Amino acid sequence: MHIAEGVLSGPVLASGAVLAMAGTAIGLKKIDYDRIVHVAILASAFFVASLIHVNVGPASVHLILNGIVGLLLGFAAIPAILTALFLQSVFFQYGGLTALGVNVVVMAAPAVLVHYLFLPLLGKSSTLTFVAGFLSGLLSILCSSLLLGLSLWFTDKNFFETSLVIITAHIPVMIIEGIITGFCVSFLLKVYPEIIPVKKK
Amino acid sequence: MKIKQVLILVLIFAMLPAGFAFAHRVIIFAWVEDGMIYTESSFGSKRKAKDCVITVIDEKGLLIHKGQTDQEGNYSFKIPEKVDSDLILKLDAGTGHQAQWRISKNELVTDHSENDIQVAKDIQAAMKEKEKLEESPFIFKIVGGIGIIFMLALAVKFFKRKIS
Repeated sequence: MHIAEGVLSGPVLASGAVLAMAGTAIGLKKIDYDRIVHVAILASAFFVASLIHVNVGPASVHLILNGIVGLLLGFAAIPAILTALFLQSVFFQYGGLTALGVNVVVMAAPAVLVHYLFLPLLGKSSTLTFVAGFLSGLLSILCSSLLLGLSLWFTDKNFFETSLVIITAHIPVMIIEGIITGFCVSFLLKVYPEIIPVKKK
Repeated sequence: MKIKQVLILVLIFAMLPAGFAFAHRVIIFAWVEDGMIYTESSFGSKRKAKDCVITVIDEKGLLIHKGQTDQEGNYSFKIPEKVDSDLILKLDAGTGHQAQWRISKNELVTDHSENDIQVAKDIQAAMKEKEKLEESPFIFKIVGGIGIIFMLALAVKFFKRKIS
């Protein structure tokens, strides 16, 4: 999912950087500073998740976990994802530093989207909580794949082909992340409900 | 209800060590022998990088050769003719997961009859570099990264409190 150095054209990189900066500014403004530890915990989970690779057939896919980060943090997910992606790039050469802005947009925009779509469902019932978590995990990867395809399209003009390849490669990740997010949200709601914003209200 | 909670906990904790076992970064390693360039590609030290595209370019970025690793992560090809430049071998193991290896043009000279000892030394040095790459302190970087995230969070909170 990470875009490497030298893949995208200059205008795409610049647009990504501007969007990421704007999103980070909004995110920093919206962070509840009493819940900053939750932001750090989820940023750490995101940072480590990409290092966890699973063999699916001949391919090797890795977790992303932008769904759970976005679901629980909303706009605050943007600075969290930015920090984690920067560290991944510096420490593990996952994604290029010049593509950091685009990578942030690709992974954080769907994360914010699932927050507003599925957060109201959390805590309604155990089944709905799991379903909300599952759909957050699944949809965030699907949207990230589409955004990745879109960013490559502006450089390459093969949007449908590229997107199809990316989405197909990420179908196992969508399902795995859906299940993990569903279980994590259900578990957190029981043992540590403070981390879920809806429970605070 | 309690059984369900325990089951979820067990599932989460059971996945953690298995997950870390898969943690990796992609590595390509290449050497020249008997007029051929041999490559080995892997994720860390254990898993082979199967069916990954290897692109060979010269110093100016011109495409010289392209191929794909086999099931063992290996790929070999004849030294390209009329190349007067270092060769850069790029391994693409999926979006964002790339690695590269450089072969200097001195290594590409096929007549090694007088330089056999030097060639053996070069291969030995390359092997050592490969081992070093595979044994990179992965876990320290993970712990360090998490530490940086928490320090940043605390710094932001401290800064915010000071302002308000």
